[in-house]
Amino acid sequence: MKQRHVTLGLAIGLSVLMTGCASTPQQNAKVEEARASYDRVKNDPAVARSGDTQLRSARDQLNRAESLLKDGADNNRIEHAAYMALRHAQIASQQGERAELQTQIESAEDRRRALMLAEQTGEAEAARREAEALRQRMAELQAEQTDRGMVLTLGDVLFDLNQADLKPAGEQTVGRLAQFMREYENRRVRIEGYTDSTGADSYNQQLSERRAESVRNALVNQGISSRRVESKGYGEQYPVAGNDSSSGRQQNRRVEIVISDKDGNIDTRED
Amino acid sequence: MKKHRSITICTGKVALLAGLALALGGCASPGERPDADLQSAESALQQAVAADARQYEPVLLNDAQNKVADAKNLIEKEEYQNAERLLQQASVDAQLAGARAETAKARQAVEEINQNIEALRQRINQSQ
Repeated sequence: MKQRHVTLGLAIGLSVLMTGCASTPQQNAKVEEARASYDRVKNDPAVARSGDTQLRSARDQLNRAESLLKDGADNNRIEHAAYMALRHAQIASQQGERAELQTQIESAEDRRRALMLAEQTGEAEAARREAEALRQRMAELQAEQTDRGMVLTLGDVLFDLNQADLKPAGEQTVGRLAQFMREYENRRVRIEGYTDSTGADSYNQQLSERRAESVRNALVNQGISSRRVESKGYGEQYPVAGNDSSSGRQQNRRVEIVISDKDGNIDTRED
Repeated sequence: MKKHRSITICTGKVALLAGLALALGGCASPGERPDADLQSAESALQQAVAADARQYEPVLLNDAQNKVADAKNLIEKEEYQNAERLLQQASVDAQLAGARAETAKARQAVEEINQNIEALRQRINQSQ
C-alpha cells in the first residue's frame, strides 16, 4: 500500500514537472472563490430543483473564467467571469434555500390548520359534553322542558295538607336542586305556588305564597344566595287540571320551580 | 443619479473605473452600445426593489445602483465594453439582493408561523 502511494506520488510529481515546463499553473483567487462557491451548491438537491438556471449560468461563467485563466487572458476578463460565476452560484444558493423555506412554510400551514381544527373540535366536544351533563342533571331533578324553560314540579304530597312546611321527601328534592344550583352558578330559579279552587281565594293565595316561600327558605338554608331565588304565589290561577275531580285538584296543588337559562333569565307568568 | 455619483466618488470607485478604462478601454475596440445590458440591469434593480431589497439588502442594492450609474457615464464616454461588464455585474448584484430579501422574508414567515403553532398548541393544552 505504502509503495503504491510512493509510485503514485512519483507519477504525479513527474507529470507536474512535465506540464510545469509547458505552462506554469495559473491561479487566481477570484476564480478559486467562484469555484468553491459553485462546488458548495452544485450537488444541493434544493438548488437543483429551484436554482437550476442560475446554477447553469454559474457553471458556464466558471468554465469561461477557468479557460480564460488557462489561456492567460486579460485579468479583468477573467475576474469578470469569476465575479459573474460567484454571483450566479450565490443566487442559486438563495433560491434553493428559499424553496426549502417555502416547503417548511407549507408543511407548517398544514400543521396549523390541523391544530386549529383540533381546537375547534375540542371546543365543540367540550360544549357537547357540557350540554349532555346538564341534560342528565335535569333528568335527575326530574325537571321537564316547557315553554318557559326547565320546570321542576313539587307535588302536593311533598307538603302537609293545608300546610306550607315541606315534608322530608320535599326537603330531599330541594337538596338536589340546591346541589344543581351550586354546580351551575349562573342559574337562578323562580318558585311559584299554586292551589286548587277549593276554599276562599285569599286563603289559597296566601297558602300558595307560603308554600313558595317555604321552598325558597329551604334553598337559602342549603346555602343558595337569596338573590338567586325569587318566589311568588298564584293561588288558584293557572290550573293544570280540572278542579272538578280530586285527582285534578291534587295536580293543581303544587309548587313549580322554573330554572333560568344559563344567563340567569327566567320567563315570568306576567309576560 | 447625482446622489449615486457622489457616493461613487466617496467609495473611490472612480479611481477603479479609471484604472479599468486605462487597462482595457484604451486598447479594446469600443464595440456596441450595451443597451440590452442596461435594460436588464435596470429591470433587475426594479425587481430587487419590489422584493424589498431596500429593506433587507440595502448595501448590495446600493452597489448595483452605483454600478448602473457608473455604466451610464461610461456609455457617454463610449467605453462600451467596461460599461457592459459593470451592467452585467449590477444585474447579478441586484438579483442576489432580491433573492436574499426573498429568503429573509421566507425565514421570517417560518418563524411567525412556528410561533403561531406554538401558541395554538399551548391554548389547546390549557383547555384540556
